Amino acid sequence: MLYVVLFFLMVSLLLYVLLAGADFGAGIIELFSSRQNRANTKKKIYRVIGPVWEANHIWIIIVIVILWVGFPNFYNVLMIYLHIPLTLILLGITIRGVSFVFRHYDAYKDKSQKLYDWMFRLGSLVTPIFLGMTFGAMIGGQIEVNSDMNNATFYELFIKSWLNTFSILVGLFFTSLCAFLAAILLIGEAKTERKLYVKRARNANVIVIIIGFIVLIYGFLNNISFVTDFIKNPFSIGLVALSGLLIYPLTYNIKKVRRIKSRFLAGTQVVLILCAAMVTHFPHLIISSSSTINLLESVAAPKVISVLGISLIIGGLIILPGVYHLFKSFKMIKILEKF
Amino acid sequence: MDNLDAARLQMAFTLMFHIVFACIGMVMPFFMIVAHKKWLNTKNPVYLKLTKSWQKGVAIFFVTGAVSGTALSFELGLLWPEFMKHAGPIIGMPFSLEGAAFFVEAIALGFYLYGWNKIPEKFHWYTGLIVGISGVASGILVVSANGWMNAPSGFDYINGEFLNIDPVKALLNPAWFTQALHMTLAAFTATGFAVAGIHAFQIYRKRQVELHKKAFKIAITFGAVAAILQPLSGDLSAKDIAKRQPVKLAAMEAHYETKQGAPLYIGGIVDSEKREVNYKIEIPNALSFLAFGDFNAEVKGLNDFPEDIRPNVPIVHYAFQIMVGIGTLLLVVGLVFFISLKRKQWWQNNKFWLLFVALAPLGFIALEAGWVVTEVGRQPWIIHNIMKTKDAVTPMPGMVFSFYMYVILYSILAVAVTWLMARQIKSLNNTELV
Repeated sequence: MLYVVLFFLMVSLLLYVLLAGADFGAGIIELFSSRQNRANTKKKIYRVIGPVWEANHIWIIIVIVILWVGFPNFYNVLMIYLHIPLTLILLGITIRGVSFVFRHYDAYKDKSQKLYDWMFRLGSLVTPIFLGMTFGAMIGGQIEVNSDMNNATFYELFIKSWLNTFSILVGLFFTSLCAFLAAILLIGEAKTERKLYVKRARNANVIVIIIGFIVLIYGFLNNISFVTDFIKNPFSIGLVALSGLLIYPLTYNIKKVRRIKSRFLAGTQVVLILCAAMVTHFPHLIISSSSTINLLESVAAPKVISVLGISLIIGGLIILPGVYHLFKSFKMIKILEKF
Repeated sequence: MDNLDAARLQMAFTLMFHIVFACIGMVMPFFMIVAHKKWLNTKNPVYLKLTKSWQKGVAIFFVTGAVSGTALSFELGLLWPEFMKHAGPIIGMPFSLEGAAFFVEAIALGFYLYGWNKIPEKFHWYTGLIVGISGVASGILVVSANGWMNAPSGFDYINGEFLNIDPVKALLNPAWFTQALHMTLAAFTATGFAVAGIHAFQIYRKRQVELHKKAFKIAITFGAVAAILQPLSGDLSAKDIAKRQPVKLAAMEAHYETKQGAPLYIGGIVDSEKREVNYKIEIPNALSFLAFGDFNAEVKGLNDFPEDIRPNVPIVHYAFQIMVGIGTLLLVVGLVFFISLKRKQWWQNNKFWLLFVALAPLGFIALEAGWVVTEVGRQPWIIHNIMKTKDAVTPMPGMVFSFYMYVILYSILAVAVTWLMARQIKSLNNTELV
């Protein structure tokens, strides 16, 4: 049953990164568009993510619930030491979520739209940065877990681990991944401005590669153990290389206007990169200053895991077909609209 | 303000905010699909217009409820890491099922909102029904987790460790049924009266009277039926608490002296230093009867419990009085509504509408007061008789800043949502029916 739980944990996390990541990215693309393209992009975002974005964001709740039920000690460390960035993520999620609904459901379309738009764009930008910074803090090796709370300052305990160059770089890396996903998604929706989104996708891709290299070089020079292990780990390097190779079929499919295939390929690239990061230290997913925290060593009692596994299977059987049909229905509808 | 107080205030504030939105998000879909059904049956365009404006309300409230709910799922751990470390695995089941129900709701809502004229009519209506049912299901499930804090079960507590965990037994804890029933009826009452009050105001102002009368009738029917059923559920809850949490019952009634044939106090001002209640109305033997079904039963008073496990008596007592007082009032007004269906001339009288306008916020005030009773009444425990709230709080100092941040953020959100609703109604009144 533990493997069922782990499977759902990883699948939920990956789906959150892919689906919510593309949602965040859509806002980022809108932010970095010229004035006349913004209105256009806004309409597309509404069409492509409107029906599904609420469902996309529930994956993070599933991740959180699995962590607290199945891996209480692991969750405990995250919640205590990364309190501040997690609160900032929540702030971003809240602002972005409500402004998305406000801008599309307000009865009057007047000046207040401007405010909603900016809230949406900025919320879309900062949330993935903080998400990435949180992940950076988990692997950055600066969390002071074992220290006596009275002997350490507030800064050392609750700020240093996530507010540092490495974490910020990871945050920027994740943000650029989101923008890349969204650009690929929007290419499929565009009719006349395809070239524009292709350009955005290419830019985002270049930025991903550049920041990725900076993360690795910075980590290597500063002896961050995650990075040195990452470089030495053949699986991690292999997965990243595979992800890089997928650029060729991706560009080919974009040229041939195959939207489903190109979305699938871009998604696979991101999944491969994430898997590469996961596999480096699995199951030691938190690296603190003095030790590592093993996900599999903080497992809850076997009975809890088996009940959780059963709940997840039942929930999955209900939810996954629903999600599938939701996506399928609205894609079908869009295709039908064209004719 | 120390860290514990700040964390408690933040939790209270965010829960109070979330509960309003969650209740509206879980009850309004039912109003919406009733209107939708009437549109399908009668093809009267007024009903279509009503359905579409209510669906916008549902979308706005659902999202606000969803984001504040996401925040809460983090806050449980951020504010109470010690609690979640031990309780998380035990009460994981209601939360994971609640997550699933919530997910189903989001999927169904996606279909419903974006499915007009795109998916088959009947299927479309059913997705609306699923939104309502899964919303209520997630409400009922999440109350189970709170019930567990009042009636911890499904584990053995040996030497400070939680052993032999049985998540199913924890899900089916003894407080669940009474609490979930009470909360569900409260949600219908509060939302029914609030929505009806808003439409009554529009009728009072003579705006689109035909449409608003139809809306009023749908909303108030749900609210009135729930308000009339609520005392029965309240009685079950009282008897349950008398058995399981006698100190909470004593605090609710500000009952200090253990007595056989204890009287029921209505109103009154609690003097917690002298341990007495002044200016109250006293009904002899009534408390014994309400708590145990026997006029002469012994009801344990607060003086029989050690000082350090007593909740704040005045807060619990006043909140309880507010809840019961409003509940009784809404029950009477619910009956008035059903009588008015026979006496149509009442509907011509503007005072009738003014009555419902005045009542609009009361259901939610009672609902919040009820949560104050159950939450403050459980203190100092976070898990009844097992773990104290002060032992569960995060070691991170400076929680007071986090509290202020949430107060500012949620106050802005509350103002924004109210403003958006006002705009919805304005646009509804200004457009002509097609």
